[in-house]
Amino acid sequence: MADNLVKLHLSFFLGLRSLQRGNIGSLVMTVVIIAMVFTNMIFLPSVITGAIKLFEQQTIEYQSGNIIIEPKKDAEYIDDLENLLARVNRVPGVLRGAPHYDIGGVMKFKGNRLPGSIIAIRPRDETMVTGIFKKMVEGQYLGEGDTGVIVIGKLVAGHEDESEDLMPSLGGVTTGDSIEVEYTNGVTRTYRVKGIFETKSYMVDPLVFITWDEMESVRGGPVDQATAVLIRTVQGEDVEEVKFSLIGMGIQEEIKTWHDLLGKAFAEVVQSYAIINNISTFVSLVIAIVVIFIVIMIKTINNRRQIGILKAIGIHRTIITFSYVFQVTILSLMGILFGLLILFAMNLYFSVYPIVFPDGDIRPVFTVADLAANAVLLFIASTIAGFLPAWRIAREDIMTAMKG
Amino acid sequence: MIRVENLKKTYYLGVVEVPALRGITFEVKRGDFLGLMGPSGSGKSTLLHLLGLIDDPTSGTIHIGGVDMLNLDDDERTDYRLNKMGYIFQEYALVPELTVIENVALTAMARGISDAESRRASMDILSTIGLSARLNHLPRELSGGEQQRVAIARSMVNRPLILFADEPCANLDTDNSKIVLDQFHTINEELGQTIVMVSHEEWHKEYFHRIVYLKDGRIDREEQHS
Ligand SMILES: Nc1ncnc2c1ncn2[C@@H]1O[C@H](COP(=O)(O)OP(=O)(O)OP(=O)(O)O)[C@@H](O)[C@H]1O
Ligand SMILES: [Mg+2]
Repeated sequence: MADNLVKLHLSFFLGLRSLQRGNIGSLVMTVVIIAMVFTNMIFLPSVITGAIKLFEQQTIEYQSGNIIIEPKKDAEYIDDLENLLARVNRVPGVLRGAPHYDIGGVMKFKGNRLPGSIIAIRPRDETMVTGIFKKMVEGQYLGEGDTGVIVIGKLVAGHEDESEDLMPSLGGVTTGDSIEVEYTNGVTRTYRVKGIFETKSYMVDPLVFITWDEMESVRGGPVDQATAVLIRTVQGEDVEEVKFSLIGMGIQEEIKTWHDLLGKAFAEVVQSYAIINNISTFVSLVIAIVVIFIVIMIKTINNRRQIGILKAIGIHRTIITFSYVFQVTILSLMGILFGLLILFAMNLYFSVYPIVFPDGDIRPVFTVADLAANAVLLFIASTIAGFLPAWRIAREDIMTAMKG
Repeated sequence: MIRVENLKKTYYLGVVEVPALRGITFEVKRGDFLGLMGPSGSGKSTLLHLLGLIDDPTSGTIHIGGVDMLNLDDDERTDYRLNKMGYIFQEYALVPELTVIENVALTAMARGISDAESRRASMDILSTIGLSARLNHLPRELSGGEQQRVAIARSMVNRPLILFADEPCANLDTDNSKIVLDQFHTINEELGQTIVMVSHEEWHKEYFHRIVYLKDGRIDREEQHS
């Protein structure tokens, strides 16, 4: 035990001196390379995590809320809506429930025809649940009790030059224009466009909204039905628990959290990204291992004579081997620290200037778990990479080594 | 103490065989101060390497204190070198990355002596041989003679049972040589340390108890002094 401490102390001592009196240039280079490898290990996954987070946020913020209630299986509508809303809004953890009512129709503007569904909302409830109203690029969002107006997504509005459109549109609608909607029940209405929104989500920007009052007038009477009820939970509430409470309130309809909604397909996408991440991590590790292996091999070859001398005067080869392992641990710790610094700077930068993708602004997400796991992996890999060449040279016979 | 039988060492340079030792048999008694002399290339350094467990003979046996040294594994020999032997290389063999004081203190530290105590002991020896002013210099900043004296200090810091010295005064002037040889004499007399020393200088003979002359890898003759 005491003997091992002496050995450890000596390894430490020799390693430290070697770092102090060895080649500073190669030391700095090694640290920089490890830092780069670490940054690389973290960066790609962080962008992917950022993209996934963005997609989740968009889903919650514009499409489903935290929880969505849908009609029972085989039913087209949620019935007895007012009663259901009253119960939903009483559930602890629910901030608000907002009903949606979709009707089919064809929109017409300057000879363009665009079939789709028109969603009726209650603006006061809706603005408590979804964030589309914050994303108006023109005009205004719907107000409670508005009639004769419509709010449309940027992709619906489209451009006069069709080639600029990503999908079929009305061909360049702006606020104040009139568009005609021919509902499937035979009613036709002309609406003034009150505003245009752009969330950058491909799922949301093709939507159009009218008020509940307008929809009732189209239907010709009060409507106590909905195609969906979107629910916003209170910040920090566990959605699964709230879902459970909703079920406990005796709600018979389908209750899905945003998680359920994204479902299996999305989980598979995330899985595929995880595979890409793993490959990238693996490649980074291989680079780190090769670089450190070469650096330590060169160092030990240059130090052959010294290693021979140390053995000749009675220093154990394990002490010598670990003096190099020790140097590698210092270098990789410094590299990881430097890498963290770079990542920290990148984090600051991207929080101000996010990476602009067509479907949103992606901010890389650095999680402590990722940082820690990759740091540990890199540390272990570099330690092994440093150990091997040192171990090999330290086994050489003294006379051969001393000739250098 | 040291018993060597029919020791042979052949170097192989590609296909060329260089027989450096052709069968050496002799004994060194405990407390002896033995001189190894002979012309250049006669095999003195080679023999000392073998005795110091730094190189392996081609054939023959080496017993030290009754133990067959060639039966020890690498680690056991390392321990033996550390704990029982001191070695002064003809080419000094200082650790380039360590300072003078660190070079000397290293083997003491390796024996588990505290850093402070190791440094103190090293400083004592270094001042005896006149290197107090060079403690924190690296070997490459020293003259040949200074490096040689550091190597001498290093070999003595652990008060080894056996001291092997390969021309330890080759680069020293007469005054410094005398200091070193007197030091050897003292530890030999007072601590009973066994010393095997290679030398070229006639005047060193007066320090040796016994002299073994090598010639062409064989013992040419022995001379007893007292
Ligand atoms: N590593 C080696 N490879 C090949 N031949 C060697 C090697 N080391 C020594 N020799 C040869 O072995 C012989 C003995 O060498 P050694 O160094 O023992 O001589 P020495 O008596 O110490 O000489 P010197 O007084 O010059 O130091 C010489 O002929 C030398 O050339
Ligand atoms: Mg020699």
